[in-house]
Amino acid sequence: MAENFLAAQDLQKSFNGNKAVAGVSFTIGKGEIFGLLGPNGAGKTTTIRILSTVLDADAGDATIGGFSLRKNPAEVRSLIGVCPQDLALYEELSALDNLIFFGRMEGLDGKEARSQAMVNLALMELTERAKGKIAKFSGGMKRRINLAIALMGNPKLLFLDEPTVGIDPQSRNKIFETILNLRDKGLTVLYTTHYMEEADRICDRVAIMDGGKIVAMDTPLRLRSQIGDPDKVTLEDVFLKLTGRSLRD
Amino acid sequence: MKNALLVALREVKEYLQDKADLAFSLILPIVTFALIYGAFGGSGLFHGTAYVVNEDTNGIYAQQLLNSIKKQDSLDLQLLKRADADNKLNRSDLTMVFLIPADFSDKLNLGQPAQLTIMQRGNGGQDGQIVASIVSGIVSEMNQQFTVAAQVSQALSGQNIPPAQIAMTTMQFLKRESTNPLVGIDEVSIGSKPNTVKEFLPGILTMYVLFSISLTAAAINDERKKGTLERLITTRLTIGQLFFGKFLAGVLRGFIQTLILMTLSWAVFRIFTPFSFVETLLIALLFATACSAIGLLITSIAHTGEASTWVGVFFTMTMTMLGGTFFTITKGTVLYQIGRISINGYANDAVKTLINGGSFSTLGVDIAVLAGVTVTAFIVARMLFKAVPQGK
Ligand SMILES: Nc1ncnc2c1ncn2[C@@H]1O[C@H](COP(=O)(O)OP(=O)(O)OP(=O)(O)O)[C@@H](O)[C@H]1O
Ligand SMILES: [Mg+2]
Repeated sequence: MAENFLAAQDLQKSFNGNKAVAGVSFTIGKGEIFGLLGPNGAGKTTTIRILSTVLDADAGDATIGGFSLRKNPAEVRSLIGVCPQDLALYEELSALDNLIFFGRMEGLDGKEARSQAMVNLALMELTERAKGKIAKFSGGMKRRINLAIALMGNPKLLFLDEPTVGIDPQSRNKIFETILNLRDKGLTVLYTTHYMEEADRICDRVAIMDGGKIVAMDTPLRLRSQIGDPDKVTLEDVFLKLTGRSLRD
Repeated sequence: MKNALLVALREVKEYLQDKADLAFSLILPIVTFALIYGAFGGSGLFHGTAYVVNEDTNGIYAQQLLNSIKKQDSLDLQLLKRADADNKLNRSDLTMVFLIPADFSDKLNLGQPAQLTIMQRGNGGQDGQIVASIVSGIVSEMNQQFTVAAQVSQALSGQNIPPAQIAMTTMQFLKRESTNPLVGIDEVSIGSKPNTVKEFLPGILTMYVLFSISLTAAAINDERKKGTLERLITTRLTIGQLFFGKFLAGVLRGFIQTLILMTLSWAVFRIFTPFSFVETLLIALLFATACSAIGLLITSIAHTGEASTWVGVFFTMTMTMLGGTFFTITKGTVLYQIGRISINGYANDAVKTLINGGSFSTLGVDIAVLAGVTVTAFIVARMLFKAVPQGK
């Protein structure tokens, strides 16, 4: 396997005494799409927030591109792009202005930011709506802009927290296509989703989290083989077997 | 610094595109201005209406009295029919009506005393009393004319001078007397001339800047809720830059607001000279800076949008009241001492001084207080500031 781009060791985080992340360790190889699966409240988003320097872990550390999260958060930030689970956009501004602004925040100069913004809008097939206000966009368009922003500044590692929630198959396919293309160019991806067939399709490896811990980690194929005939068993079967059928939150 | 500026400009851009925000910063001030202009824009002197029933319809003296009332700047004349007047007095629609009886001119012509009747409800009301005293002034002037004319014609009788010439000469003397009275009234105002606009405008100006406190506080919480604040942390922007950017955004908002208001008040009330405009703008900028720092402090303490909006509004209203925005607080009173804790009291005083032609160099205390508040609030806010609760 290729060299690790991300290595997380024993990450822990509690909120008011409740362990949201209870000792999580995993690695992601360079150019790998790594799926982080798990029921609601499993700790996926919290893990991403720690890895993207938003939250300080109570314990543990991670290295990203050779930089320690604790010691070199600024360097880590320059390597990552984040597509948050909840849309994080400036609704009153145009799509282009949103992309340019975040591009500048990634250190691009005005000209670079504009040209990258145009590239990423084209990637999401939103060039024609570049000047349109986000507030007037459909849910699928907003999701695509949410992802396009994460690509600004050419990150080496992309955190995608449920990027395909609530959108039509066309938009979803567009997003997959983009992710796979970028992966082919060497981008590393951490991907979370509740759609198991989606993870099966695009992830090289997945980790299944439950209660703040990783309960299984392997390629989708090998995980399916573990509980039966991989041609008949789905990743969802594996997921339900490992995490049980009871509701979480 | 460049990143902070970008953060600030982004916010200002959004603020200028948000219709609600824009309505708040443009329409509300204009409405407030229209209201103060309506209230204070005209002359500050008394103005009332004299309601008169004239039953001496063809009498020349009745006409003379009515003309004198009409000539008064402070009085409007309204003629009524007798029945109408009685009716209105009964229904309390009016509190005072003057009645010129039918024999008014005839009696005067015969040299007999004539009566002007005042019909009033209760004591005629405060306005009525003032109108009555103005009218009785007119009447006593008429009396004086009659007396003088009578005395002159009596003194000159038998000297073969035509009565018309006596009357003419008497009138000329009286006229000269009324334009050059022996006892004149000289108006002396203590201090500068009272001007309600200049009195209250600074308070309104600073009140709107103060409102930017709530806006600053709400803007950060709003961004936190939208998730963009957290997203910013994952970029190369540092927390320090983010904080400073938010601070600058607050300053710019407050400043834009003041600029609009000041330009409006300059255009409408003409209360600035180019020089005092620039000086006032500097004070406004300093005040906006203080307000922005306080807004950040509020955000750093109150973590939800609602909480910070309420704290912001509460703070604004308290400071506005104590700062003498809505009523004049006299120096030396207890209220004045309490008002010293109001930061916009200092800004008000400074702006008042400037628009009344005072010098910038006398504003040392005001400037020092505003600058002190800015620095203190900024530092404390920075120490408490967390872009993400439980996080950075
Ligand atoms: N800021 C916070 N304050 C308190 N508790 C939190 C906070 N953020 C997360 N939690 C709790 O931590 C646990 C993990 O939440 P997290 O959002 O990481 O789960 P998730 O796997 O992303 O779930 P989902 O699939 O629903 O997005 C949950 O129990 C959640 O309630
Ligand atoms: Mg989540």
